[in-house]
Amino acid sequence: MKKILQFISKIQIGDLFTIIIFIVLTTYLSSILWNFPQGEYLKIDMGKQEIGSFSLNQNVTKVIEGPVGKTEVIIDSGKVRISKSPCTKKYCIHQGWINQINQSIVCVPNQIYISIIGNQTDYDSLNY
Amino acid sequence: MHFNKLIVLLVFFLTGCGQNETIQKKDYIFGTIVEVTIYGETSDKATNAIELVFNEFRRLHEYLHPWEKSIVQEINQSIKNQEIYTTEDTEIISIINHNKELELKTYGYFNPAIGNLVEAWGFHAEEFSTNRPNSIVIDNLQRNLPHMSEIIIQRGYLRSNNNNIKLDLGGYAKGYALDQAKKILDENNINNALINIGGNILALGKHGDRNWVVGIQHPRKPNSIGSISLSPGWSIGTSGDYQRYFIVDNQRYSHLIDPNTGYPATNAQSATVLLPPIEFSGTLSDVYSKPLFIAPENLKYSIAKELGIDFYMIIMTDGKISISNDMLNLIKWHEEIDEKNITVH
Repeated sequence: MKKILQFISKIQIGDLFTIIIFIVLTTYLSSILWNFPQGEYLKIDMGKQEIGSFSLNQNVTKVIEGPVGKTEVIIDSGKVRISKSPCTKKYCIHQGWINQINQSIVCVPNQIYISIIGNQTDYDSLNY
Repeated sequence: MHFNKLIVLLVFFLTGCGQNETIQKKDYIFGTIVEVTIYGETSDKATNAIELVFNEFRRLHEYLHPWEKSIVQEINQSIKNQEIYTTEDTEIISIINHNKELELKTYGYFNPAIGNLVEAWGFHAEEFSTNRPNSIVIDNLQRNLPHMSEIIIQRGYLRSNNNNIKLDLGGYAKGYALDQAKKILDENNINNALINIGGNILALGKHGDRNWVVGIQHPRKPNSIGSISLSPGWSIGTSGDYQRYFIVDNQRYSHLIDPNTGYPATNAQSATVLLPPIEFSGTLSDVYSKPLFIAPENLKYSIAKELGIDFYMIIMTDGKISISNDMLNLIKWHEEIDEKNITVH
């Protein structure tokens, strides 16, 4: 106990500064790096054609050419949305961000189907 | 030497893994996504079988299309012109007979003769308009509501005295296609598969030593509300107001038209039925979700009982859940459900 008190009394302002920086940095980095990606990757399909699978751990915009026109998909550090679509209803855009495994956005007119795929899915197929 | 043995062992185990995997193919047919998953077959055998199934789906899509060139459209044209339609096609005759039977069985809540109403609401298009139709037009169509029983079928020909009839088999075709897919997979000795046509699903066999598991879409959220373990041969179908709909002045208009009012049904957000392996179970899982969706709440449960549906879940307009006891025992919730919001029947 005494030794601990002695140790604490020896801490200088610079030490304190270093310790605080260390704690803040660790908490911050682990909070953004540990929690995500909650889903493993984003799978994009256009009709029967698989466009590809993309890491969620990036900030990119993908443009997919569908039968009606160009659909723009934004991947933003673990979350995904459709930002531009040639369809008339724009339901796909209104759905907003998705970030969980098995969440998906479908744009029926442009035949775009994007879904967040994890290593483990809760089910084999979806009834809707 | 030991290293070689290790390699042999490794290759042996890896090939073992490969055979256990599932093979899944998707396509875009019936204006929606179709998906077939096959378990425990070689890639070639599975891919060939799936292609046969997709070909059948494409045939049915063209054959039964409600508003493009198809046999259904030819029949509609003949009825409209008050002509006799002669045909040797036994498939379409048995489909129409089945639809006549189903309209009676579902107390008219499933009525495939109301194509004119569906069209007036603008749902006869890939990209439907968001305009509310004129209420005079709708009321007029509803007052002259046609019924399947008014189609007269005799040896080799078909006719009707009611030129208001316009067949729309959109609520039947996908379920029928499920049963056709089952036949094709059976013929090709595929014993374990999961067929999904726009959300209507039929399970064949199992996924290895476990049942196929199917998620049920939440009608208002982008995720599943729960999942169901489908025993071999079972099928599941949902009617919902969240796939084909439009919103005008904060009012949601879905593609499911209530024949009794002529307006889109507003008595539920979704209705899900689960059927055991009976004859036409794929077709019926598609059709039977309609009366449970459309009928007013006080009739939903008696209709379910009459139709022999033991497993069902209805998410009401206010988001509360009405569920049969059998379904409650089977469902695995994916979110916390407040007991106050659930009624068991």
